[in-house]
Order: sequence, then structure tokens, then C-alpha cells
Amino acid sequence: MIKKRMTSPSALAAGKKPLLPALFLVLIVAGCLCCELFIPYDPAYMDLAHASEGPSRQFLFGTDTMGRDIFSMIWYGGRISLTIGLLATAVSALLAVLIGACSGLAPRWLDGLIMRLTEIILSVPNLLLVVLLQALWQQAGVLSISLVIGLTSWMSIAKVVRTEVRQLVHSDYVLASRCMGGGFFHILARHLAPNFFSSIMFMVIMNIRGAIVAESTLSFLGIGLPLEIISWGSMLSLTENSLLAGCWWIIVIPGLFLIATLMCITELGERFRGARSRRHSNL
Amino acid sequence: MIAYYGKKLLLLLGSLFLLSLLVFFIARLAPGDPLVSYYGDRVEKMSTEERWQAEERLRLNDPLPVQYARWLEGALQGDFGISYKYKTEVTEVIGSRAVNTLILGGTAFVLVFAGALALGVFCVWHEGRLADRLICRIGTALSCIPEFWLSLLLILIFSVALGWLPSSGAYTPGDGGLWDRLQHLVLPLLVVVLGHLWYYSYMVRNRLMEEVRAEYVLLQKSCGLSKSAILLRHCLRNALPSYLSIMALAVPHIMGGTYVVEAVFSYPGLGTLSYESARYQDYNLLMLLCLISGAVVIFCSLLAQTVGERLDRRLKHGAEAAAVATVAAAAAEEGACAHD
Repeated sequence: MIKKRMTSPSALAAGKKPLLPALFLVLIVAGCLCCELFIPYDPAYMDLAHASEGPSRQFLFGTDTMGRDIFSMIWYGGRISLTIGLLATAVSALLAVLIGACSGLAPRWLDGLIMRLTEIILSVPNLLLVVLLQALWQQAGVLSISLVIGLTSWMSIAKVVRTEVRQLVHSDYVLASRCMGGGFFHILARHLAPNFFSSIMFMVIMNIRGAIVAESTLSFLGIGLPLEIISWGSMLSLTENSLLAGCWWIIVIPGLFLIATLMCITELGERFRGARSRRHSNL
Repeated sequence: MIAYYGKKLLLLLGSLFLLSLLVFFIARLAPGDPLVSYYGDRVEKMSTEERWQAEERLRLNDPLPVQYARWLEGALQGDFGISYKYKTEVTEVIGSRAVNTLILGGTAFVLVFAGALALGVFCVWHEGRLADRLICRIGTALSCIPEFWLSLLLILIFSVALGWLPSSGAYTPGDGGLWDRLQHLVLPLLVVVLGHLWYYSYMVRNRLMEEVRAEYVLLQKSCGLSKSAILLRHCLRNALPSYLSIMALAVPHIMGGTYVVEAVFSYPGLGTLSYESARYQDYNLLMLLCLISGAVVIFCSLLAQTVGERLDRRLKHGAEAAAVATVAAAAAEEGACAHD
């Protein structure tokens, strides 16, 4: 008798639309965008009389060591974090497509050189690269940190783009387009991009996640956003003091928001990961 | 054979040369005052004359190409200069810290290596059932947690609330016995392992899931082989070469993963050291650290290729492209998680 068994969770997920994560993400994004409508306090106002207070009726999620209301900060700070995620990903994706396509279309020696360089940059620890680049701006801001994160995360996507372009470039329609005088950007946009789009989509979405994590890690380490610019990362950078005082809410609550968002992005990203085989296991 | 490895060695050296060039110029062009790390706060009180003399003593006044040539000349003779902050030979500073990172990273690597294999096999054994689905869920959730936050949470629970484990350092000053070191190692180790475990388990799971769908499994089953014999003796064996090459690539990945963790736990390893050196323009230290980590990365990717070809003869004969593709795909996925 053949036992009927479900193939795998991922195969199942491929058939099912990730409704719940999508809904949750929309909720978080909408909440962050329209936070002025419902947040009870000014997120930047430091009420020193109420510093480090636990969650209560007055302050839903408590206050941080500088007396700011965490509930208001989370919604307000989400804007910055999400903006950085999207902006940094836009920078890295654009760079990756340009460099990858250039390398894919270039003659063999140049292609080899560009890829070697990409690998070398990939071999420098990411944190160091970020620290060095960040030093170019005296004071980190939303724009500068997005740029820095974008500049340090394009390499792996570029490699995939280059491999795809290398395979596509000899196809007849690219040749035809070239013969009719199509330029680099025309061929890239009309013929190449639509073909490699699906294979980099997952990586691009994962890059959004990576950028948000990078921003929060950098701000936590004290080389990212300063305390005045509220983001999920800079909120967590105050934790050194609150750790010893045992103020768990300052650490746990913003972190949970951050992780929930990252999980939703991951779930949505999995949709683009390419369909898995749905065959039954032979085992 | 010799030509093959000679070529790889040349590639390694060439890459290291380019890397040193890149790091040197980025580091020097980034604004910042290396004198601060040498003289500390005294720099602010220095007159222009004194500053100039100090820079002359550290030989920071020459044009950049001259400085680079001098650095390269020294480096080729094994002299990497002194650290501005610690005022001793760079190699000495690194040597005293490297042990800590090797203990942390090495233990983490062994645990991830064994754990990922076990977890992957377990998931495929129970494929589609509750245990498998539960592990997948938990694993995905775990992989979304930023390392620094996980560290904070663990410190909050085990150091602050329960008081069981210390929250920072590698040993208590004055103590330093084995038990003391172990206690300090637990939390950082846990974070590094949890941060990487699922990523590799998932790879094992996917690879094995492909394998159990092969025709030969059906044949062996009809011959009456038990499930464990098929999975462990045949499927796993086929999946092992690619796992080993992926784990070779995992060495720099896991070593790099210790950077943030070391910073959070103020664990005195290479991670905190390189972070400091990049932040405070300790040029000589930074150069050597970058070269070391670059060498590890490049060496491991060469190792991954070689291991794959050695263990799986199919990869060498005709299908070399396949090996490169596996490694490239793994590297690409790794890059996607590089920021984690």
C-alpha cells in the first residue's frame, strides 16, 4: 500500500499564499507610516521624571533610560528602519545589476578581473568595510548609512547576475537587438533584466532583511545612527545601561518588533525562491 | 598536479596583493587621526610642530604610494610594523588574541558541523511530519534573530536574571582556570552556533531531500534494505562531498560571525581587535587582520573546490562545472545572509 504523505513544508508553502505574513507586514508598515494618528507621546520627548519605567497603563511598553515612550518610538522608528532597508537594497541591487551585467557582457579578461575584484571585496569582513566607509561621513545619517550598507552588500547578487547574463548573451534575440543598434542599457532593460529578474528576486528581498539587521547592528555598536535619530537599531543601542538595571522591556519589546518584521519579509521572500520538486520521497 | 596547485597558489598570492592594496588605500583615505590611537588624548594639546614631528616618527608624512611600498617591503620580510595603540609588534598583539577567537570559532564550527548534519538527517527522516515542520519553523524564526539581540537576550536571562553565567570577557582577571574560561565561553558560543546552525541544516535537508527522490532509493527499498541503511549508508554518502565543500566555505562565514558576538560580549578576540583597529586608524594592525581573514576566505574557497573534486570523482571528469556551480550557489546564498 502506498502511504500518502505530504511532500515537504516548502512544497506546501509554494502552493499556499503567505497571507498571514503579508497582512502582518502591511499592518506594521501602515502603522509606521501613519503613526502620528495614534501614538500618545512625542517619541523624541525626554521625560526624565519617568525614565526607565516598566510597561504600565500610562506607558504601554514602558520608557527607556532617557524617559522616552517606547510605544511611540517603535512606530516612529520603524519608518527609519524600513526606509534604510529599502534604500540600501535599491543601491545594492542597482550596483549588482550594473556590475554583473558589465562583467557578463565584457570580454573574458575584463570579466575575470571584475569577478576577482568582487571576490576580494567579499573576503574583507563586512563589519570592517562598513566602519571604514562610514568614516567618510562625519556624522552618520539615514542617507549615509543606507549608502554604506548598499555599497557593501551588492557582491553576491552581482555574481548571480553575471552568471545569468553570460548564459543569455549568446541567445539570438540579444544578437538581433545588437545588430539593430541596441545599446547596453536597452539590451539590459529589455532583454536581460526580465530573464534574470526571477533568479535574483529572492536575494534582493533577503537583502532588505539584511540591511535592516545591518542598520540595527551598526547602531547598536555605536557606529550607526545617533540616539536622536530614532530607529529600531538606535533604540537598542541604549541597552548597555538598561541591561545591568534589568530593564528588560527596553531590549525585548523593540527587538520583538524587529524580528516580527524580519520574519514576515523572509516568509514573503521564500515565495520567490523557485518552486521545489513536488515529487514524493522514495524513502 | 604541481602545475594545478601552483596556479592556485599564484591566484592566492595575487588576490592577497590586491586585497592589501585595496585595504591600504581605503584605510588611509578615510578621514581620521591615527595619532589619537598612539598618543591618546594628548594629541589635542599638541602644537603643529609637535604634531609634525610625531607624524614624522610614525612615518605618516610621505606620499601614500611611498608608504605602501615601504609597508610591502617590510611585509615581505615578515615585518608588519607596530600597532599604534598597543605599541608592540602587530604579530604579537594578534597572536595573543587569536587563541581566543580560535577557541570560540573552532568550537562553534565543530558544533555547527555536527549539529547541522544531525538535524538535516533527522528532518529528512521525518519529512513532512510534525517534527520536521516544527524544526523548520523554529529554524526560520531563529535565522531572523539578529545576533546582537540574541546575545542581549541571553545576557538578560542567564547573567542578569539568573546570575548563572558571566556576561563579558573571556576569563575573570586573576582567575583564568579551565572552569572559569568555559563559563565565559558558553553564551558567546551559544549565539554563534544558534546563528549559523539552521542555515547549514537547511542545506543538508534540501540536499538529502533531492537524494531520497533518486531512483536507486526505490531499487534498494524493493531489495529490502531498511530505511536507516538507505538513508545513512547511501543517501548521506552521496550528499557528503557537497556538504564538505560547503563546510569549507563555512569556515570564514562562522569566523566572521564571531565579530559582532565578540563585540557584544567584549570577548578579547580578533573580532573586537579588528573593530577597534578600523575605528581608530591603527593602520598596521588593520592591514594584517584584513590579510589574515582574506587569506582564510580565499584558502577555504580553494579548499572547497579541491575537497569536492577529491571526494567525488564525477566532479573532476567532465563535470567540473557542476562543482563550481554548487560552490558558487553556496557562496551566493551565503552572501545573502552575510549581514546577519
